[in-house]
Amino acid sequence: MRRVAPVLVALALVFLGWSGWTFWQSGSDGDGDLARDRDTVLRVGRQQVAALNSMDWSRADDGLRQWLNASTGPLHDQLRREQAVSKQKILKERTSANATVVDAAVTALDARAGTAQLIASLQISLTPERGTPTVQRKRYEAGLTRTSGGWKLKSLTVIPVGAR
Amino acid sequence: MRSTTKDPETDAEEAPARGRSRRAPRRGSWPFQVGLAAVLAATGAGLLVLADDGGEAASDNRALVDTEATTRVVGDVSNAVTRVFSYTSDGTAQAERAAAETLSGQAAADYRRLIGKVRAQAPQQRLTLTTRVVRAGVSSLTGDTARLLVFLDQTATRAGRPNGTPAAAQLTVTARLIDGRWRITELKSS
Repeated sequence: MRRVAPVLVALALVFLGWSGWTFWQSGSDGDGDLARDRDTVLRVGRQQVAALNSMDWSRADDGLRQWLNASTGPLHDQLRREQAVSKQKILKERTSANATVVDAAVTALDARAGTAQLIASLQISLTPERGTPTVQRKRYEAGLTRTSGGWKLKSLTVIPVGAR
Repeated sequence: MRSTTKDPETDAEEAPARGRSRRAPRRGSWPFQVGLAAVLAATGAGLLVLADDGGEAASDNRALVDTEATTRVVGDVSNAVTRVFSYTSDGTAQAERAAAETLSGQAAADYRRLIGKVRAQAPQQRLTLTTRVVRAGVSSLTGDTARLLVFLDQTATRAGRPNGTPAAAQLTVTARLIDGRWRITELKSS
């Protein structure tokens, strides 16, 4: 043991050196940060695009509040401006919408500027107060910005057939 | 390695604290060294755990992180989809040639079934199909496998006239890197 002990210390030092280097690498890993931002954008973006396409007409105020929570910048301003009109329309039509994101992908990400873009395909089931539910397909492009409250949608555009 | 040096201060420090034992490990002694090795190893293991925790599973996915590879898979897949789903009234030979180059596995089998129905009718009824990729994004890119979401516009004509309105299509595409080129292995409507 007397002879082996110094060897053990040497091996342990080498191991510590290697694991320390690995730890330092993981900390300074810009790719890892970018990957995490991308995953956050995708997760949050999916939820927000779905939220902005969903509405329970019997709880219109809640739904409209969620629209505002999911948005920022120009989209947020627009939704707030139109809030009263939107509510009237929702109460008149009495149709609930429940959106599911079928698939989505982040198409651009600038972590430093805090901007991102994603595309998403949605299935939206529309349930009128009376009558049969219908299912709609929609495809969107969304712009996101990092705010103090996390990533939020600043734009949401349907991509129609024939779009550039 | 100062394994053999004896530090006189050690004795002075440790003797009163552990007066009971004369065999209190000293810095040069082997029990101390074994203990030191254990502490160093445990610290190293701790750092590794922390390093791994910070990395998460996200780092396996190179989509957008490796911009060059991301651009390439988007380009390869967009090209393939455009060529494979476009044909003129001259026939489907060109599209099928493109399919042979760019489709593989399940996607190739599905395509053969689909194009078989069109092949005979295309020249007869002067059918054409034009497919355009409007948007495409990579949701995952790990090693030699990628998953993409592709938005398409498809315009069909029959005897020189539009056959219905242009249609929007959304595909979830799985692709594999085979011999340095991305091939589509699965196509699913999204």
